Amino acid sequence: MNNNSIKSIIDLSSDLRWKIGDDFYDGLAEGIYADASKIASRSVSTENQNKRFGIDSKIDKIVTSKTWGFPIMFLILGVILWLTIIGANYPSAMLSQLLLDTIHPFLKGLATSISMPWWLDGFLIDGVYLAAAWVIAVMLPPMAIFFPLFTLLEDFGYLPRVAFNLDYLFKKSGAHGKQALTMSMGFGCNAAGVVATRIIDSPRERLIAIITNNFSLCNGRWPTQILIATIFIGAVVPSSFSGLASLSAVIGIAVLGLFFMFFTSWALSKTVLKGEVSTFNLELPPYRPPRFWKTIYTSLIDRTMIVLWRAILFAAPAGAVIWLISNIYIGNESIASWTINSLDSFGFLLGLNGIILLAYIVAIPANEIVIPTILMLTVLTNGIVGGQGAGVMFELDSANAMGDILRAGGWTLLTAINLMLFSLLHNPCSTTIYTIYKETKSVKWTTVASILPVIMGFVITFLVAQVWRLF
Amino acid sequence: MNTYNPAYALLLFFAISLLGYLLFRPQKGWFWVIKNNLKSNEKIVIEDILKQLYHTENSGKEINVNSLTRALKFNDRIIVEVIGKMTNNELVQFDGDVLKLTNSGRDYALRIVRVHRLWEKYLAEKTGYDKMDWHEMAETKEHELSYEETNLLATQLGNPKYDPHGDPIPTTLGEIADVKGEFLSALAVNSVGKIVHIEDEPDVIYKQILAENIHIGSQIRVVKNNKQRVVFYAEGEEFKLAPIVAANITVRILEKDEIIEENRVRLSSLKEGEVAHILGISKESRGESRRRLLDLGFVKGTKISIDLKSPMRNPIAYLVKGTSIALRKDQASKILIKKD
Repeated sequence: MNNNSIKSIIDLSSDLRWKIGDDFYDGLAEGIYADASKIASRSVSTENQNKRFGIDSKIDKIVTSKTWGFPIMFLILGVILWLTIIGANYPSAMLSQLLLDTIHPFLKGLATSISMPWWLDGFLIDGVYLAAAWVIAVMLPPMAIFFPLFTLLEDFGYLPRVAFNLDYLFKKSGAHGKQALTMSMGFGCNAAGVVATRIIDSPRERLIAIITNNFSLCNGRWPTQILIATIFIGAVVPSSFSGLASLSAVIGIAVLGLFFMFFTSWALSKTVLKGEVSTFNLELPPYRPPRFWKTIYTSLIDRTMIVLWRAILFAAPAGAVIWLISNIYIGNESIASWTINSLDSFGFLLGLNGIILLAYIVAIPANEIVIPTILMLTVLTNGIVGGQGAGVMFELDSANAMGDILRAGGWTLLTAINLMLFSLLHNPCSTTIYTIYKETKSVKWTTVASILPVIMGFVITFLVAQVWRLF
Repeated sequence: MNTYNPAYALLLFFAISLLGYLLFRPQKGWFWVIKNNLKSNEKIVIEDILKQLYHTENSGKEINVNSLTRALKFNDRIIVEVIGKMTNNELVQFDGDVLKLTNSGRDYALRIVRVHRLWEKYLAEKTGYDKMDWHEMAETKEHELSYEETNLLATQLGNPKYDPHGDPIPTTLGEIADVKGEFLSALAVNSVGKIVHIEDEPDVIYKQILAENIHIGSQIRVVKNNKQRVVFYAEGEEFKLAPIVAANITVRILEKDEIIEENRVRLSSLKEGEVAHILGISKESRGESRRRLLDLGFVKGTKISIDLKSPMRNPIAYLVKGTSIALRKDQASKILIKKD
């Protein structure tokens, strides 16, 4: 074929394409889809043609009804959280009895008997071991309860209905209804919540869900909230109401978290994320009886164990760092007290103190060890009797005793409130940060997700502190 | 710490926040204004003048230097200076005091228009930006893309013929499809046509059109047209517009054999218990959203009915091919059905 005829063919084709009009491509694509579905419907037969008109449809009418939809949803979520928080207390106590009160002294004794140098003993046993043990004791039981329950609901097919019910609210803030599920998952563990955002197939809404997941109080933070609320909030009302007061304070913080989640979702979708592609669809699969044992097994292995393992990997070095900063001296001061002093004035502006800020820096790997670290550092820097020694984290059996230590460390009601706020609004733990990076593959969004909440935390605690002091 | 006073601290904080807001608020923030001013060099002024002339000449009007300086946002002195240079380079010429494009000026203007409309098409198909943002973003981008980049973009988009508003996109050779049609405000009662163009300027009117949920490509029938109101039916809904708004919508009158039966309605109007067949997806559903709908089985000829309504009545789950799929109201309004 010579060049001339090639050129004339190309000219002809571009001429024809010009004449064919703009609707052609859309029509072609739709035609292909329509043909494909015709072929499929001819050759695929389904046994259960009207499965939507049996028990499924009856359940659906109830769980998505105007009257019952929301109460059922909140009831189920409430029961799961209650089972998790209350139910986890017992195994947690047993684990901490075993790991912290039995094995830890035993290891210390062993180290003494083989005359291990004090620094190696401290570094390994008081630092690395203690942090890992703490994370296991606090984290394992709630996760082992929460995830299987949640996965059972997922397997049953109820969760998509929750997304369906709540989508309207999430749409208002530019998010996807399924974010309700990833947020609930975040109540168990933010890292797991971030992984769960895979169910959202629209890029913009998925990023929103990832970045705002941290506003769900996770398992590592519930105990902190409950403890501080019990010690400080419960104490300002008559003792007969103290339980109610501290409970409302904790729920208040969780609800505030939801508010921040909606607000941040809205702000993100209107600003930095507005260019990301956004689509919506939500399939409501038929219900099916959950495969109980399989679900228990996979949720334990896939979610609980993986998250726990990652947390231990991050927590162990954190324990080492905590021990080191309390035991390495520059001049007359340990690194810890030196850092605390330099953070103190900034902490004061936020209505917190240097100890809390330092604890949040070293506890980036795991929120579980914030309170033990704060107690240890408070005892260490204020020379209060009662600690376990430099760099050895501890908690006391009675909340009152812990309250005494904290008050001796200069804590007021403002410190407590701001700590609760800061515990809600601070950077995600390193496990979550790492998971966000793995899910988004983007340094930019990982940075946004890590920095944004901590800036909000600074602003909110700052404002609360100033207003508090004005009155 | 001795000078610390919570009131001062608060004041300082609010002062810094205010400063940050003034500097970085979208579009009007000082930072952006300064950045834009630094960027607005001669090239941009030349290209904007060419574009302005092109659009005026296309609508059959004439423009002189005075009205040009009023239409453009630049400093008058700069505009006069640049026009002088453009006359020397034979991009524009004077006919009396009327300013006109030369042939090379027209070619240049078409290139800019091409980039602008291609970019709007790109934003519509490949990104999630809101319709309201497309024009503004294309206004910046049209000065940035090179000839090669533009052609690459066109190839990636499948050499589209029209931009999302229905404006024709010039080819590399400067060919341009013509939009045949009349303004909606000028149509006689009972005329049937198809919306082929929705003008995106000025913002105020475009916002009203968007709020009405009027879709490009839909077939309309005018039922009333007087000085106060233009009333028409499209896709089973009734729309009422002020004539000034209707003037921004272009309609192509349909021949007898082109008119499709009128019981073509939006899925959003389906009621519980009714059964319908899908006729197609509106042109307003674009890019990823459109493909997703097709993937899910919202294709021509499929039977569809309502399965469930959520407590807030939005989204609604539709039964398609034995599967229950929830769609939001704005999606459902872009799927066309025929009730059985």
